[in-house]
Amino acid sequence: MGQVFSKVGIISCSGEEIAEGTVARQAVRRVLEALRPQQTVTLCLPLFLAGEEGERRFAREHPTITVDGCSKLCAKRGTEQYSGQVSASLVVGDILGDRAKGCHRSIRNADKADEEAVWLVAERIASEVDALASSEVAGEATDASANDGACCACGKPSQEGKLEVKGKPVIIAGLPMIFQHLQKKGLLPDGSCADALLETVRIYHAIDAREEADYRDALVAAYQAYCSR
Amino acid sequence: MGNNSRTQEVLVIPCSGVGKVHGLISREAVYHVTDDLLPGQADTVCLALLVSGDAQTKQEVQQKPCITLDGCPKLCALKNVELSGGKIAKGIRVYDVMKRHRGENFGTATALSEAGWTVVEELAAEVAQVAEQPHSV
Repeated sequence: MGQVFSKVGIISCSGEEIAEGTVARQAVRRVLEALRPQQTVTLCLPLFLAGEEGERRFAREHPTITVDGCSKLCAKRGTEQYSGQVSASLVVGDILGDRAKGCHRSIRNADKADEEAVWLVAERIASEVDALASSEVAGEATDASANDGACCACGKPSQEGKLEVKGKPVIIAGLPMIFQHLQKKGLLPDGSCADALLETVRIYHAIDAREEADYRDALVAAYQAYCSR
Repeated sequence: MGNNSRTQEVLVIPCSGVGKVHGLISREAVYHVTDDLLPGQADTVCLALLVSGDAQTKQEVQQKPCITLDGCPKLCALKNVELSGGKIAKGIRVYDVMKRHRGENFGTATALSEAGWTVVEELAAEVAQVAEQPHSV
């Protein structure tokens, strides 16, 4: 594909009750990670339906493909309720037919049938992404540098997620959300906050033991700046 | 692990966040409970179906004690069960278990590493322990 398009949002149903829900989820991940990483992002459906404005705005402003596990079409209906018509709606059962019966809910039990099912659905999603790109429905051309690979719209690092560690800029996914959460919990931006900050951030971001002290200083400074806003 | 004298069924509901490993861990922990540890005593519902306002799913969370598993601080599962009038027996946060294994690589939102599966086991055990206790709805 010569031209770079705005990203396409792919929304999978959560589908915990059925194997098709797991196939939908895994297929979406396959598209994001392997098949069309430069052109796609995903959105968390429960977060979207629960009223997360960032997710809803993304779906309003970008083409979206919904992937549902069953005919209840939670992903399609939810997206259309809050963000307008989707560009394509796929249902795992329609794509797989009888093959879906051999699939499992847990990836721990996944076998050849699951693997084939995920590929089939993933390839179908990818072809919908290509169709959107070729029809230029995917929106205006954008700067290629903005397309930095597979990511989640809710977890994409924002500018506010930047830390300055020993003079070097470091991006930490979800840092503003972590600060917001800790502030709500009553963590004061004084000298005692360092341990809690470090402990929470390292869940989302690997921190080498040798850099711990530098991260600690950087996080305290950033949290103090956040709280003084 | 299961206690045959306990007949009250619990619902275990993960956030299933699709963007990060935490969501996959929450989902797999739920399946470990419903399929392996407490089959017939624990079940799950589709969170998106609940959030969409499905009447039958809403009724289910209102009638059975619910244990939620959330991957991120937005706590989608916990909040949405509460908003639907469900009774939370316990809200569990995946990262509270992950932090016992700090520094480990847990895998991705698509596949779990050995450490990721360890967290799944520990979370599931915690859920099973809560599920074994008597609950009022």
